[in-house]
Amino acid sequence: MAEATPVQIFHMEEKRRQYRSGGFFLKVGLLALFVLVPFLFPSFKTVDLAMQIIIFATLVASFDILLGYTGILSFGHGMFFGIGAYCVAFLVGKYGTPSYANLTLGFVIAALVASVLALVISFLSLRVKAIFFAMITLALAELAIVLATKLSGFTGGEDGISLNMPGVLAVSFNAGNFLGLEITGRILTYYFILLACLGLFLAMLRFTHSPLGRVLQAIRDNVERAEALGYKTFVFQAISITFGCVVAALVGGLYGMWVGYVNPESCLGVLSIMLAILLMCIIGGMGTLYGGIVGAAFFMITETFLPDLQHLAKDFFPSAVLLHNVLERWHLVLGVLFILVVIFFPKGIIGSVREFIDRRK
Amino acid sequence: MEETILKRWSRELTVAGAIVLFLLPLIGIPGKTYMTLTIAGLAMGMLLFLVASGVSVIFGLMDVLNFAHGALFAWGAYVGFTVFGYLMKWVEADSVLQNFAAFSLAIVAAMVVVSLVGIVLEKVVVRRVYGSHLFQILITFGATIVLVELIRVFWGPNDEVMTVPLTFSRSWDIMDIIINRYRIICIVVGLVVYSVIQLILKKTKLGMIVRAGVEDRDMVQAMGHNIFLLFTGVFAAGAALAALGGLTMSLFSLQVYPDMGGTYLLFAFIVVIIGGLGSVTGSLVGALIVGLTYNYVAYLVPWAAAGANIMIMIIILLIRPTGLFPVGK
Repeated sequence: MAEATPVQIFHMEEKRRQYRSGGFFLKVGLLALFVLVPFLFPSFKTVDLAMQIIIFATLVASFDILLGYTGILSFGHGMFFGIGAYCVAFLVGKYGTPSYANLTLGFVIAALVASVLALVISFLSLRVKAIFFAMITLALAELAIVLATKLSGFTGGEDGISLNMPGVLAVSFNAGNFLGLEITGRILTYYFILLACLGLFLAMLRFTHSPLGRVLQAIRDNVERAEALGYKTFVFQAISITFGCVVAALVGGLYGMWVGYVNPESCLGVLSIMLAILLMCIIGGMGTLYGGIVGAAFFMITETFLPDLQHLAKDFFPSAVLLHNVLERWHLVLGVLFILVVIFFPKGIIGSVREFIDRRK
Repeated sequence: MEETILKRWSRELTVAGAIVLFLLPLIGIPGKTYMTLTIAGLAMGMLLFLVASGVSVIFGLMDVLNFAHGALFAWGAYVGFTVFGYLMKWVEADSVLQNFAAFSLAIVAAMVVVSLVGIVLEKVVVRRVYGSHLFQILITFGATIVLVELIRVFWGPNDEVMTVPLTFSRSWDIMDIIINRYRIICIVVGLVVYSVIQLILKKTKLGMIVRAGVEDRDMVQAMGHNIFLLFTGVFAAGAALAALGGLTMSLFSLQVYPDMGGTYLLFAFIVVIIGGLGSVTGSLVGALIVGLTYNYVAYLVPWAAAGANIMIMIIILLIRPTGLFPVGK
């Protein structure tokens, strides 16, 4: 074989450097932390918090593929999440017995339904203008909630559906003690979901760093230019939307597995799920994928500890009325923060930090 | 040959088609109920027109898709609710004059307050993101969160019952057809607003500049007009229309609640997609289609009411992706 070209040498150098950089160790450390959470903090609250962060980080990353890498805003991402949760719930809750085959089938059906729906929506809206996508997905998301509530014979209505996990993932399963930790079905479910989310996250990283991902970014930055270069923008956008939505549906199924029940409010709600995704994505940083982790961690931790924080503020600063009011109206603060981030730090936390580090160099 | 006939008669054919579609529900609905439903549908359509026209004109002129329009709509309803609270004596009085005075005062107050909110919103927030659709949607969505939260701070988080002025809530009985008076008022308000908008747009210099701005923004600027002042003005006018829509709609549905904007914003989006973004006439036609369909379908197949409008929107998108009355750009 001939000698390596300068470009190849450069690539090899870069690859070698990749595994020595601080960012790489940070990522590995973060993963190790999530793996060790059940051993370090075995209380239900912390494990649940860690799981929610993992699930929402993956969901936000899939939303980021649409928003940050393709430049398309979807208000229906919560809907795809809910579709996934409902598909799995139908198979192992309402219409099927809990078995591994049914669980797998649930995820397959979730992916199929999501991909078909995403393709149909893309064909409808992308023909005109990309902003139509936001309006149409908002309309469909509202419709999905109405359908899930009204067709109560099929979907269980407001009450929702309870899920039962098969075999080792069942709540009642107990494999005994390991390093001081009770290996229950919950813990195994935790690791299963962690593994699945890791796989999905790596798949998304691969997707965005592939040549296809590059084309998507070109389209996001300048549609006319990408078109002039000969790329069929419509096809690429449709592929990206479908991929993001399928991942969202799969994550929805995992979420259903973890919380054990699905209902319209918790899985489909535009104001509950969709708002959270958007806030996490913008605050964490869009167009980075990792922003989802930061955004989800920030959002979930504040949501979980907000009541404690309010009590603390009342105990220690009984006279600070302003502080109490701010904590009472947390969503107002989040909304203002959201606007400020969009105006002043459009790249979010991750993007701004990266920029800062690059400038230091 | 066929094509030329179709072209020559296209206007007449469209009208005929519309009339046929309009009368189609008569198959399933008895005549008297049909009349009541039609009036309810027209009233609802007129109210939706008030909301949608703001969204449409703001998009046409400023190229901004205003997601905060729903929150402004809710603000209008709440300001009207407060005014009604102060004027409870007039609202509950059995006198058309006093009822009307309270109604007009509430409308004026709602439009003034909300257009001020709109001006602040445009100057502080929206102005910073001209030119990027994505950031406009994001930032107006953020503004929605803040505005809705502020409603919860000022007026409390619960649903409130809206009192309709006493004489408005009665009905007329014409040949056994029950006609609610307030619905007629809604239709009149809608028609008046439509005529005023058309008069301003077609007959005044300001309207001419706005229309020119919709066609070609840069050219208007090159002619020496301050386009940003115009933007603020149109945004405030759109906010005032949203407030009027919110107040009249809350009297229609007899309640106000902080999240009410979301539901009607959705209807407004469906309306502007059907009618064509940027066109006032398109908004009116789209709103009437949506209002009538909603009422007919809600009577015939109650559970399908929400889906029917979305189906119409999808069909229109398939046949005419730019809506019924596209605005040249």
